Amino acid sequence: MNLKRTLALSHLLTGLLVSVMIIALLGTLRLLTPPIDTIGETLLHINAQSTQVANAVTSVVTYFRGLDTLGEVSILFLSIFGVALHMQHSTRNLFGAHDTLLQIGAQVLFPLIVLFGVYIITHGHLSPGGGFQGGVIIASAFVLRFLAYGDHYEPSARLLTLSESLSGAGLVLLGVLGLLLGDRIFAQILSLGTMGTLLSGGVIELVYLFVGLKVAAEMTLLSQHFIKARDV
Amino acid sequence: MIPFLIIATLLSLLAAAVMAIYSRDPAHSVLSYMGFGLGSTVLYLLFSAPDVALTEAVIGAGVGALVFVVALLQTQNKEQP
Repeated sequence: MNLKRTLALSHLLTGLLVSVMIIALLGTLRLLTPPIDTIGETLLHINAQSTQVANAVTSVVTYFRGLDTLGEVSILFLSIFGVALHMQHSTRNLFGAHDTLLQIGAQVLFPLIVLFGVYIITHGHLSPGGGFQGGVIIASAFVLRFLAYGDHYEPSARLLTLSESLSGAGLVLLGVLGLLLGDRIFAQILSLGTMGTLLSGGVIELVYLFVGLKVAAEMTLLSQHFIKARDV
Repeated sequence: MIPFLIIATLLSLLAAAVMAIYSRDPAHSVLSYMGFGLGSTVLYLLFSAPDVALTEAVIGAGVGALVFVVALLQTQNKEQP
């Protein structure tokens, strides 16, 4: 009891200390760099001029900071690689339930969730969302199938790996093409279109399509490895 | 209306975090963690950052919870004879 009270007190103190530190840090940042308030407006101004993309967050993530997105995707690939190496011999499914209600529900919901994910990916430059979020939503549809069917559902590993590697290669190719034809990596090499339509943004939409396909395949593989983990 | 909603969301986030630490059943901790992710999603939405809110919903309440549920199932299978 005494130990527990001490533990609770130490947790409370740590939380207080961390919040004081965060507030102090934020205050210092604000004092040191006053022009930080104007970055958002400057970005919005540049975005309205140079890209025909309605969602400014998307143009920052894929156009102004395309190289960062490439690095992020490769980090994700490396982590999936590590999980696949660690959990090699997957034989047993953790979710062995064979519930008829869940199976019928999964059958009804699977295409709807995939459709929603595809919508999030393809409208990433118009509305909130994008390749990463839509890809994980598509992967969650596969997780639902794993839950419902247990050992009787096995998505084609060859197809998943193929789509993952093809989209990764396409992403790198797009960056290199921008470097060759334009002035920098992920430079705009396609026509921009008009703002607000589905086929606007040029390269930005293609980047999100590749990222979405890659993330969906990777997350499906990851959840498959986790769920069918071997008994350690 | 919006400041009241923000304060209510912050208080529920605090409650979910405390529950995630101090509840006796690990399953309840995982559920509180998912509730924490959901609350963060609402908070980001209230601060008008829908892109971050979508990512938080997908990662915090989706993938993170999946990892914890798998860990929970692995350990429970070990404890049962």
